[in-house]
Amino acid sequence: MTAILEFRNIVRSFKKGVPVLNGVTFSMAEGEVVGLLGRNGAGKTTLIRIAMGMLFPHAGTVRVFGLSPTEEPVAVKKRIGYVAEEQVLPVGSTIAELIALHRYLFPGWDPSLERQLLGRFGLSNTTAKIKHLSKGQARQVALVCAVCHRPDLLILDEPAGGLDPAARREFLETSIQLLNREGTAILFSSHHMNDVERLGGRVVLLDDGKVRLDRQLDQIHEDHCVAMIPRSAVPDAAAIESLPGCLRARPVFEDWHAVFQGTPEAIRRQLQGSLGVDGVRCVSVPLEELFVELVGSNGCLTVLGGRGASGRPVLRRPSGSRNLATRSTP
Amino acid sequence: MQLVINAADELPIYRQIMRQIIEAIAGGRLKSGDKLTSHRELSEHLVIAPLTVKKAYDELEALGYIETQRGRGTFVSARVPEPDRGAQIEQIQQSARRLLSQAYLAGLGFGEVVKVLEQAGRELTEGPPAALEKPREKETV
Repeated sequence: MTAILEFRNIVRSFKKGVPVLNGVTFSMAEGEVVGLLGRNGAGKTTLIRIAMGMLFPHAGTVRVFGLSPTEEPVAVKKRIGYVAEEQVLPVGSTIAELIALHRYLFPGWDPSLERQLLGRFGLSNTTAKIKHLSKGQARQVALVCAVCHRPDLLILDEPAGGLDPAARREFLETSIQLLNREGTAILFSSHHMNDVERLGGRVVLLDDGKVRLDRQLDQIHEDHCVAMIPRSAVPDAAAIESLPGCLRARPVFEDWHAVFQGTPEAIRRQLQGSLGVDGVRCVSVPLEELFVELVGSNGCLTVLGGRGASGRPVLRRPSGSRNLATRSTP
Repeated sequence: MQLVINAADELPIYRQIMRQIIEAIAGGRLKSGDKLTSHRELSEHLVIAPLTVKKAYDELEALGYIETQRGRGTFVSARVPEPDRGAQIEQIQQSARRLLSQAYLAGLGFGEVVKVLEQAGRELTEGPPAALEKPREKETV
């Protein structure tokens, strides 16, 4: 399959020497659904803006439908639908005026899809001004504007941000209908793991400027687990993180929580063999927990390492964690 | 078909669908020859990706529970496979573990749990309908 979206070694920083994206590489095939995950500030929006040609990468290349979004913006934007995280719609205009503008901009505009969506969202009164709409309604108008030209790629930057559960579900229903009927590829960023589960497909997790995880959702479920290893038995995280299949280990109270690629049963056996430690528990966890284990800060630290020379407790810091230094520890 | 999806479950959604359809077949709510909702329709009803439903249907078909007839739709197979013995035993073991930890919380000893089981078994075999009789018949066939 040909890639419709391709990021290769993307680097971008906003402050000199502090890259937000530091070598991000992944691509999307036609009709594919990719959920872009990561903590606040992980660079999801930056990456999306680079794909939209709104930002230049400092290094690396981006190709959308094989084209550069900054060199051929019109050809690229014709085939993309985009709903930004903080969508700024012209507040003074009416729904009808805004839609008329999009209809004028996009020759492939589908009036029947427009009517259908406006009806579904209860936005049939198109003389309403944008500034009088609720947050959810404004987002729905933005979605109508983004999809009625039947794009090949729909990019949704936190479409559910700030929406109530019912509005989120309506948004999701529309996305799923588009998947069903149009085969639209969707790249979306979200903090709602349930929505990610429902939209399915592939998960790309950004952390520390890089892609930390890039796998099919089902594989993540069936082939990843969290191992809980007593910290009294294994002194430091590096010993765990160097084991094959380990993605990350972090201290949580008396245990290390380590994310492994493998089934719980296999990992438990492997750990008992390699570490010779009893009392290891391995469990499959929902996506939300996996997310926290992979990119969360060091959990509630208990002081195991005694006291340092200053008399202050020594907090252990496993390799690969970067938040401890900037975070106030409990 | 009444399916319930829990997106926050550790079980992938396609497995949740598979399990519920197999349960519906085992429980007689779905019978051989019954037509299933198309995967696209079901995807819109449940608000989950069409590929997820398709994966569940594909796996069920590979296991022999359902069959697709081109142009007509998807149906429950004429001969559905016998339930997987190993998986059933695994489930019973899980229930047993749960039962034992409940008993522990309630302060019951192992002997008392056995008595409870015996009592429950008597109630089942004496009272109608004899739920425990069924599997025994199957084994003798």
